[in-house]
Amino acid sequence: MSITLHHLSKSFGGSPVVDDLSLEIGDGEFVVLLGPSGCGKTTTLRMIAGLEAASSGDILIDHRRVNDLAPQKRDVAMVFQSYALYPHMTVADNIAYPLRVRKLNREQIQKQVARTAAMLEIEALLARRPRELSGGERQRVALARAIVRDPRAFLMDEPLSNLDAKLRLQMRAELKRLQQQLATTTVYVTHDQAEAMTLGHRVAVMHKGQLQQFDKPLEIYQRPANRFVAEFVGGPGMNFFTEEVARTLLKSAEATQTDADVGIRPEHVEISRVPRDGWLPARVYVSELMGNEVFVFLEIDHQKIIARAPADFRADAETPVWISVAADKLHFFDTKTGLRI
Amino acid sequence: MPTQRDLFKADQSLAYLFIAPTLAVLFALSIYPLIYSIKISFQGNTGNATLANFARLFADRFFLAALGHTFVYAAIALTIEFLLGLAFALVLNHNLRGRNAFRALLLVPMMLPPVVVGVVWRLLLNSNFGAINGTLKGFGFNTEALTWTASPTLAMASVIIADIWQWTPFMFLILLAGLQAIPQEPYEAALIDGSSAWQTFRHVTLPLLKPAILIALLLRTMDLLRVFDHIFILTEGGPGFATETLSLYIYRTAFRFSNFGYAAAMSFVLLVITNLISAGYIRLLQTREA
Amino acid sequence: MNTFRRFGKYLIVTGALVAALAPIYWMITISFKHEIDQFAVPPKWFRFPPTLEHYAEAFLTRSFGQYLFNSLFVAVASTVFALLLGTLAAYALARFRLPYGLDRKLALWILSTRMFPAIVTAVPLFLIMRDLRLVNTKLALVIVYTGFNLPFVVWMMRGFFAEVPRDLEEAAMVDGDSRFGALWRVVLPLVLPGLAATGIFCLIVSWNEFLFALVLTQTDTAMTLPVGIAGRVTQYGIKWGAMSAASVVAIIPILAFALSVQKYLVRGLSLGAVKG
Repeated sequence: MSITLHHLSKSFGGSPVVDDLSLEIGDGEFVVLLGPSGCGKTTTLRMIAGLEAASSGDILIDHRRVNDLAPQKRDVAMVFQSYALYPHMTVADNIAYPLRVRKLNREQIQKQVARTAAMLEIEALLARRPRELSGGERQRVALARAIVRDPRAFLMDEPLSNLDAKLRLQMRAELKRLQQQLATTTVYVTHDQAEAMTLGHRVAVMHKGQLQQFDKPLEIYQRPANRFVAEFVGGPGMNFFTEEVARTLLKSAEATQTDADVGIRPEHVEISRVPRDGWLPARVYVSELMGNEVFVFLEIDHQKIIARAPADFRADAETPVWISVAADKLHFFDTKTGLRI
Repeated sequence: MPTQRDLFKADQSLAYLFIAPTLAVLFALSIYPLIYSIKISFQGNTGNATLANFARLFADRFFLAALGHTFVYAAIALTIEFLLGLAFALVLNHNLRGRNAFRALLLVPMMLPPVVVGVVWRLLLNSNFGAINGTLKGFGFNTEALTWTASPTLAMASVIIADIWQWTPFMFLILLAGLQAIPQEPYEAALIDGSSAWQTFRHVTLPLLKPAILIALLLRTMDLLRVFDHIFILTEGGPGFATETLSLYIYRTAFRFSNFGYAAAMSFVLLVITNLISAGYIRLLQTREA
Repeated sequence: MNTFRRFGKYLIVTGALVAALAPIYWMITISFKHEIDQFAVPPKWFRFPPTLEHYAEAFLTRSFGQYLFNSLFVAVASTVFALLLGTLAAYALARFRLPYGLDRKLALWILSTRMFPAIVTAVPLFLIMRDLRLVNTKLALVIVYTGFNLPFVVWMMRGFFAEVPRDLEEAAMVDGDSRFGALWRVVLPLVLPGLAATGIFCLIVSWNEFLFALVLTQTDTAMTLPVGIAGRVTQYGIKWGAMSAASVVAIIPILAFALSVQKYLVRGLSLGAVKG
């Protein structure tokens, strides 16, 4: 199923929550809507599902306009952030619900439920009730309920946000494998940029209801379209410099742009404990030893930036160090519009 | 840009469909009778609209007496029920074993038909063989003067006692719920600040309990102003008319004297009084929350 | 809390319980005592020969059996109607966003009709029922009690519906169910306990009601238990025994119901108090 959003807008009376959003999602594609809370990504998802009515613009499924189509008829499955499992039914009944509502006969339902449960490895839980399950187990049941009826698209609203960090990583991998297996169109909402980068074929970054950039994850990372995307994507985010520091940097890196915000990603900042020719002096503010690398917070000309150093880098606070950046790794953004130059 | 037809307009008409029958029934059984009542209160004997019924109220000593009885009754009962209920709630705010069973049993008087409450207390307060006088006599007291239902002041006391017996649990339950909703932190802070028990009560408990108190008082006042059932059984409004409250007098006017217009006028006054008082409480509630 | 204070508290609790229950107990003993024992001085609390003569008199000789049936019929019928209409309205008010904040205004308005003193509507309703030739019928009582119970049902059920997360219904609809189907299969099962408690409370209120029954009924065909009991009073020579016996029968179902739902009743009361 292909999904197209055409100048989609939604407002609840005040300023628009979703503002003139246009997006084309191809059949079988995994698209992530990424952005901070309040950026309109969940509202967009709900409009695709039919749970909210659009204020203006079109929603097309397989090139047919569906704005007026009830959610029941859109043949999409949704995984809610809260999982929305029916508390008074067993896991088996929960999974069977979409099939029961479509009036399949009992044998068929049992077969499909069993098959889906096997796919998600939850056969042992079929007789239990949602309140007896752990967070991860409930998540799988929610997924099973979405998969069992073989819908034309999956809509997922931050499904991993209620899980602890370790489980989240695990489920992330399983979700990706599942999507590859089923090849179903998926729209996935999250505020976690790591999830977006790893799961999506393409990522749509949203901010204050407006689309910032819609591209493959790597493109977004290496060529952010504006300052917001540059700062939001990447952990830790891109460093930005004041004018003086930029000028010093630019002079030292022999770049030519002026009157723009200059950014550099932490991994492209090289640090040295000894002074080197043409490198800029800086002072260590604090080091965070992550185990596999070190985040070094530096102070240069009263400005703080972050650099990523190899795991064996050690420097106490106030230690003087020297940094260097490569000219081709600098990003320039227009100071007024924030757009990439 | 074409505007979207609201997908949920259909849902909206569904909502109205669900609500309509209830509104219709309530209109037919509350609003329409009220309008009818107001209409007949303006009718005199000549058939023209007249304020005669309302004018009569000012000179009607039975009406004024009933007004007085109602307020005295309400004021005394409310005060005692509140103080008792609050005292019980404070004392029993801590976890005692069997608290749920206790609460369940306390509900019993509240659940009885007020008519039966009248019966119960009429039996208890019978001057000759009632358990109250009988037990007092057993302890050596002279109960000749304690003719509960035959003496005006004692009769008023009787109906008030019966009310207190039935409804103090109500106060207790609401105030207890309010107390238990107060978080621990303010108390801990007061303790650390060195506050005494009385100061804590005055400056921490009472203010935080204000909403519950106001709700309890509001609900109870509404019920007290319209009291009817157990007085009807216990004293029948007597002796004489010493315990006749507004509701009882209105009933007598309408159904003993068949004077419906006048009864309607009095009902209207009762309604206005009730609304004014409840509006007053609600305003108090709102300013508290501000 | 030291043992002295705890002992004190248990003492207060016991005292309160005795004060609450002893009067009822006294009435129960009267219903089982011969007339001689009823008038005994000092009063006999525990040792007396029991008799069923008053019960026989009330229910066999006199019409209390009929009154009992009338009370039951009217209470059940009005509760069923109130639950049906009120639950639908409550669901709509809990779920749908109406323009101009209408859903909240309507809910408040519905609740306010409960604030009318009974006598205010009893007088005109009598006249209206008289015109409709419905005085002294069970139908009139059923109608009036339904209106009586509706505000309460709407108030309680709205709270219970509001506690069911919207997510569940949305999930059901995306899964393919119609709104009605979602209501029936997902929401209703979850509010069933609340519905039961509300229903029982309505039964109790209808069962206890006196003023409207007094005004709207005149003969045995429609009179309810409270009216029958009151009837024993307004004649001279009060029949204490029969009155007590009828009263005891009147309170048995209430005691049973009240104890079974006391948890919900307290919750309903405190919902009002704490949320203001």
